[in-house]
Amino acid sequence: MDRLQSTISVSSEAFRRHDAHNRRLVAELRARQEAARHQRPARDLERLARQKKMPARQRIEKLLDPGTPFLELSTLAANMAYGGEAPSASSIVGIGVVAGREVMIRADDPTVKGGAWYPLTMKKIVRALDIAMENRLPVIHLCDSAGGFLPLQSELFPDKYVGGRIFRNQSLLSKMGVKQLALVFGHCTAGGAYIPGLSDYSVIVRGSGAVFLGGPPLVKAATGEEVTVEELGGAEMHTSVSGTCDWPADNEEHAIALGREIVAQWDRPKKWEAQWQAPEPPLHDPTELYGIIPDDIKTSFDMREVIARIVDGSRFHEYKPNYGTTLVCGFAHIWGFKVGILANNGVLFNDSSIKGAHFIELCDQNNTPLVFLQNITGYMVGREYERRGITKDGAKMIMAQTCSKVPKFTVMCNGSFGAGNYGMCGRAFDGRFLFTWPNSQIGVMGGEQAAKTLAEVKINQIRRNGGDVDPQEIEALISQTRAAYQQQLSAYYSTSELWDDGLLDPVDTRNALGIAISVSLNAPIGEPGYGVFRF
Amino acid sequence: MNNPAFSKVLIANRGEIACRVIRTLDAMGIASAAVHHPAEAAARHVRMAGEAVAIHGDTPVAAYLDGAQIIAAAKATGAEAIHPGYGFLSENAGFAQAVIEAGLTFIGPDHATIALMGDKISARTFAAAIGVPVAPSVLPTEDLADFTARAGKIGFPLLIKAAAGGGGKGMIIVRHADELQAAATRAASEALRYFRDGRIYAETYVDAPRHIEVQVLGDGEGGVIHLHERECSVQRRFQKIIEEAPAPDLPPSLREEICAAALRIAMAARYRNAGTVEFILGADGRFFFLEMNTRLQVEHPVTEMITGIDLVRAQIEIAAGAALPAALPAPRISGHAIECRICAEDPARDFLPESGRIGRLAFPTAPWLRFEHGLTEGQAITADFDPMLAKLVSHGPDRETAINRMIEALKQLTLLGVTTNIDYLIRVLDHPAFRAGDLHTGFVSAHGAALALPPTGRQARDHAAILAALGCREFAELVFATPEPYASMGFWRN
Amino acid sequence: MPFTLLLDGEPCEIEILARQPRLLLAVNGRTYLVEPKAGDGMVRIDGETVAFARAEIGETQFLRIAGRTHVAQLARQGGAGGGGGSGVNAVKAPMPGLVIRVHKQAGEAVVRGEAVITIESMKLQMALNAPRDGVIATLLAEEGGSFDKDAVLALLVSLEGE
Repeated sequence: MDRLQSTISVSSEAFRRHDAHNRRLVAELRARQEAARHQRPARDLERLARQKKMPARQRIEKLLDPGTPFLELSTLAANMAYGGEAPSASSIVGIGVVAGREVMIRADDPTVKGGAWYPLTMKKIVRALDIAMENRLPVIHLCDSAGGFLPLQSELFPDKYVGGRIFRNQSLLSKMGVKQLALVFGHCTAGGAYIPGLSDYSVIVRGSGAVFLGGPPLVKAATGEEVTVEELGGAEMHTSVSGTCDWPADNEEHAIALGREIVAQWDRPKKWEAQWQAPEPPLHDPTELYGIIPDDIKTSFDMREVIARIVDGSRFHEYKPNYGTTLVCGFAHIWGFKVGILANNGVLFNDSSIKGAHFIELCDQNNTPLVFLQNITGYMVGREYERRGITKDGAKMIMAQTCSKVPKFTVMCNGSFGAGNYGMCGRAFDGRFLFTWPNSQIGVMGGEQAAKTLAEVKINQIRRNGGDVDPQEIEALISQTRAAYQQQLSAYYSTSELWDDGLLDPVDTRNALGIAISVSLNAPIGEPGYGVFRF
Repeated sequence: MNNPAFSKVLIANRGEIACRVIRTLDAMGIASAAVHHPAEAAARHVRMAGEAVAIHGDTPVAAYLDGAQIIAAAKATGAEAIHPGYGFLSENAGFAQAVIEAGLTFIGPDHATIALMGDKISARTFAAAIGVPVAPSVLPTEDLADFTARAGKIGFPLLIKAAAGGGGKGMIIVRHADELQAAATRAASEALRYFRDGRIYAETYVDAPRHIEVQVLGDGEGGVIHLHERECSVQRRFQKIIEEAPAPDLPPSLREEICAAALRIAMAARYRNAGTVEFILGADGRFFFLEMNTRLQVEHPVTEMITGIDLVRAQIEIAAGAALPAALPAPRISGHAIECRICAEDPARDFLPESGRIGRLAFPTAPWLRFEHGLTEGQAITADFDPMLAKLVSHGPDRETAINRMIEALKQLTLLGVTTNIDYLIRVLDHPAFRAGDLHTGFVSAHGAALALPPTGRQARDHAAILAALGCREFAELVFATPEPYASMGFWRN
Repeated sequence: MPFTLLLDGEPCEIEILARQPRLLLAVNGRTYLVEPKAGDGMVRIDGETVAFARAEIGETQFLRIAGRTHVAQLARQGGAGGGGGSGVNAVKAPMPGLVIRVHKQAGEAVVRGEAVITIESMKLQMALNAPRDGVIATLLAEEGGSFDKDAVLALLVSLEGE
């Protein structure tokens, strides 16, 4: 496979400007992640120490095999919700290796309102379990939660994709033979009690772990019965009387050791035999991505330069290099796994849409997972392109992409606007994982275009009503619209709302995709539903 | 000899010496029979022997000390002779007599000789009578008052021993008159406890003496030869750990004198079979008769390696009636030999015996090496028997070569599963005083600090830690069971 | 989780820094490049071949390297994986019966497997043993007393400072 030749100049003024800009963005990302992970009110940390509990992330570190990676998902979930009071949506989700087996780890964070579940917590947990189902990934729950955040109960209880969905997913996972282990470090109250209840295996820590439908205050209010936490749902009771939990642990370390031993008993289901070869680091330095990604979303750049810094050995077998050139398609390896890559090098025209659809079909027939690198302002508009059937050609790409059965992965590299998002496997298209770079923006259209479009509509409306256009009023409308869009288009808003599986430092893209692809191969790849159409 | 001396010999022993004897029996075309306590049914000597008989006792040691059972075993197997090895019944006159009375041959001296030499006092009297130097002493007595009065007159330092003792048990060194009373009382009570004979005796204590012994062979008809001396000065807890032959830097005249004294005793006793006359040699060149061991010694291989004579074969041939010419010159010495006793003990804890299990045994082989052992992998090492596990013997054209070959061999010797003195022996052999031949029975304590386990270098320790970790199933799984791409990716957090 | 060994009695913490393309381990913070399969009874560490012999007797590993013997044991985390640490706190009656003898009083330390109470039931006497190491916190049985199935007869607590 040929190596991609890089044409960038690291000493150019543009490169250095971009580099400085993107390093600033990444520093901001790191700072916000650090705060979400570790910045807590002192009293919450003190309470944790008093209860002789480990912080949730320390539990995870001890659970993981030493010297192995951990891909944390949606660290900045809820970062722009609830006044910022639920960092990481009070729940940590990630993928790592325990006792030599790749697992999903999902941990409550008792330092956020006692581990209370907010609506976005529900969304995050449901998403984690969706990932587990789609990829047949065993789940380890580290339970320590006060239960649903009651002030927002209407948003987290009645609807389809919130509270109940967690338990529905847990039940289906078990039916599919995907194992779940609950390590109960703290309280599992009300619905939370069903997490260990619906896990195939469970360990509960003496003294601090408790599982019950209603805690002592609720019991007292409901029936007048006075009962202690230990009697009601402690480790001793659940492991020797009710059988709700399986193993008692003397302390958190012991629970983790037991958990590791339990996982060590699990079988290692055979993964889908994807094409794999010994991995090779990219030839071109991934940190050069900082100088490649422009500091202005309107500036275009060659996605091959990005591919060269993600794939093994910077080797890329490009498909149809001279046709539909605004969509770069080709084969490569990421951490040894064969993938088909689709990357935007400009707006999607008829030919690039058709090329994309065709390449997706090839990969589908070849059982090759698909990686979408999005930088798309949309399908081309205008009379000429409508006459050539741009909608019809875009539909082909969306159809091919939607109906393919190979695992799909999407990275939002810069911009994701309009229907281009659909063709390039946006969130709605059930890609296995979707990551966003911190510079990236997403929306039905850009803030500038939206402001101008709305101003145009407003002016037309005023004129239709025979009024006078006040330039100041129009200017105010434009800046308001731009500001509102600016916030909602941002990567931070996207990740806050769980429209992705987390923000990525561009340099981390290769590792994140490597783990994502590996995980995806736990689920069988089905038969393609159609042949390869040469449109 | 064309016809084998005996058709079958039973070995009334175990461990390395039983294996050693069987090897010679095999070479001579003589069938072998072993005895064993049921606990040792899978022992190497049992597997090496042509047949084996289980013997019983309250303890395993008691079984090997039960002469009646052993003689019965010999009769049952049709053995014509019994080889006693060393220890156990080897110097038991009653047993030797019982063997003869049972119509069998005892491969060793007459029981009368055993009895004569088995009692230290009668042995000393015997030696003194024929002009062999004996250290000034007080004869054994149970009368402590009389004993201390007379002992005080010999002068100090003084060594108190049990009359019936051996192996260092009940021995006390007294350096001042005011310690005498207490020491005598303790020695008498220990003697009673260990040997059921409370008689003790005292003799001049030679400070920093060398232990020199002479191997003799006699045919019981007056034919006697000596096979030169051995140096057995390096001892711990009054027991030898390193022996060599010939003794380093012994003036030729003194060597001749000592060997002649040994020969005189053997001749006077009309000694039959193999025996060893032990002396202590002071720094001033004076030497005193210590005792005579009427059996094969543990350290006999060093003599074999410098003379080329198979002492076990000689024992068997003599027992079968072979004669030695009366005035045979001592065989020529070729080179130098050293023996190290490999013991299950912890040199860092005053050489206290250790128990364990032989998890792995691998020993070097070379034309100049002998590894004498009765071990099998998996064998339990318990306090039931002597802590000596095996012997390593090296030979070289000169002492330095023999030492270097021994050190190299000890480094290669792998005997894992129980704490041993192997590493300690290396340190002794490599000590400048040992290399210089500056030996005496207090060597081990005199150089205690220098011989202590040196701290390992950090890197060597780290290497050991890595190997130990890789040897742990838990760790090996962590290292080797990680799937791709996680193994290649290593530690990474996003 | 850190992996800790006792090597010749001293703790050694071993970390896995990398598995591929070369195994990189750290011992108490010092890094070594390890090729574990350099040959039979051999590994290569930092390019240097280290020959060794190993024997495992029970929980103890004996290693002989460069003419020196080392003894290593796996250091278990407090409570974890427990020989004497895991299990339950209560000594419970497996069937209804009578207390024949009380062997341990409240406040006494017990090791796992030690008899706490002897009971008789259905003409069968049996010793109820401590399920784990600890101290008898509460003794709920008295000699001659009767009890039902699953009655808790004694409760243990962990020794402090474990």
